[in-house]
Amino acid sequence: MNRLLLILWSLGPMLWQLYTSFRPNATLTGNPMQGGWTLEHYQALLGGNPPFWRYLLNSGVVGLSSTLLTLVVAVPCAYGLSRLGRKTARNVNVLVAIAAAFPYVLLFLALLQLARDLHLGNNLLALSLPYTGLSLPLAILLLQASFRDIPPELEEAARLEGLGLWQRLRWVLLPLMAPAIASASLLIFLFCWNEYPIALTWLSRADLLTLAPAMARIAGSSVFTVPYGGFAAATVLGSIPLIVLVLVFQRQIVSGLTQGAIKG
Amino acid sequence: MAPALLLLLAVFALPMLQYAWLSTQAQTVLTELEPQPVGLAQWQRLLQDGRFWQDAFQTLRFGLCSVGLELVLGLAVALLLNQPLRGRTLLRTVSLLPWALPTTVMALGWRWIFNDPFGPINLLLAQVGLPTVSFLGDPAITWLSMVWADTWKTTPFVALLLLAGLQTIPADLYEAAALEGANRWQSLRRITLPLLSPYILIAVLFRLAQALGVFDLVQVLTAGGPAGSTESLALYAYINAMRFLDFGYSATLMLAAFLLMLLLSGGAVLLWLVSRPRWAGGQR
Repeated sequence: MNRLLLILWSLGPMLWQLYTSFRPNATLTGNPMQGGWTLEHYQALLGGNPPFWRYLLNSGVVGLSSTLLTLVVAVPCAYGLSRLGRKTARNVNVLVAIAAAFPYVLLFLALLQLARDLHLGNNLLALSLPYTGLSLPLAILLLQASFRDIPPELEEAARLEGLGLWQRLRWVLLPLMAPAIASASLLIFLFCWNEYPIALTWLSRADLLTLAPAMARIAGSSVFTVPYGGFAAATVLGSIPLIVLVLVFQRQIVSGLTQGAIKG
Repeated sequence: MAPALLLLLAVFALPMLQYAWLSTQAQTVLTELEPQPVGLAQWQRLLQDGRFWQDAFQTLRFGLCSVGLELVLGLAVALLLNQPLRGRTLLRTVSLLPWALPTTVMALGWRWIFNDPFGPINLLLAQVGLPTVSFLGDPAITWLSMVWADTWKTTPFVALLLLAGLQTIPADLYEAAALEGANRWQSLRRITLPLLSPYILIAVLFRLAQALGVFDLVQVLTAGGPAGSTESLALYAYINAMRFLDFGYSATLMLAAFLLMLLLSGGAVLLWLVSRPRWAGGQR
């Protein structure tokens, strides 16, 4: 019973969107049991200018490039912190944890000025820079915890075998950290995919919008007529990639979230 | 290590310093967008700005209500998921979905669900003969709709954190309590909540900071309306910067919002520290 309630609460709103997205607009104001089905909302979205998949692609590009960049910066940092003394690392970590919880929406004005000064606006790859900065705290906390879990004897043995720092990282440490790296990557990707205020202010060209600002633009585009069929189709298309991601990587996402909380 | 820490400083610390400076400047269309020092005039203006106080109140109201509700529901979900149920993994995945979706996507969805009179909730109400509710058009109600939508989205996050905490509590504590004749409510109060309190604190700190910075949800669900009754501090700061091009005041508003968050987070930590010895009661 409780389980059913939880499923209904979680999925109900999404199922209603799915249902609405296949209904002709004219039937939405009538009896929900009557009227036919239609694909017109999906056709309109995918045939639009720019077509809706463009936003998904843009979000994917920003998400992937930011995730990669964050890992490249965070792995050495986490390694360094994990080899510091407990006390120093703890002090640094408190600051990193504060940054992880920081309501980053407050940063948008300063970051926007940065984009103006350095001409980084309307550039998907440049958008990865603030995203990397914002994702770093969580990545550092997660990866550092995982570095600490590796017995130091293992690295010591590899060193005695004559492996240099980079070789040790590449062949000994990173393979052991694959689960933590997967968790961190997924959480970073989710964050970048969903990020709104910075994408909103850094991107203005319609064909470069990522999903979140594109949705807001769709929402604001029609103040007087209310094309809810189209809205619903957009929410369905915008949700599918993430639903797939969560279904496939559920375990890694959950462990990332909980590890971040326990160790952070 | 150095590049990462430098980037962190550039993204988090530098903007706050910039705001501190900008909040002593006037930078508007009138100054041709060039900063001009005005001392503390922006802060005086803030104190006399009725819209700021209203938004601060609304932001606080939203933050406290949604975080409180999310804690209660999150704990319920965590307790449910902590039981050895069939299909627990599937249940956990399903309950995680709302959290993973972009806020703007589901905010748009909620606009349709809350529609009066054609949204599903109002259809249901009409079906059983009740009057429909203007979820998005009544200043007394709309902020609650926003709390509802936020709770739907972020309860899974709170539930997962608390679930991780529940799994650290050894089962024999409950067995011992049961032997002593404690009922379920007593063992929840005497064992679960005290041992869970660090996790509750973490969840509160994370959620409070995000909820007080609420922006995406307001902008897409209500755009601050009706009659400004759901406008948040972040949205007001955004409007000042992007619509009024009043950058000095926008920075002042952001700093004020940040100070408010610090104050509340500090309060939460203090509350936890004060209540801990009472709870621990010699157990640890």
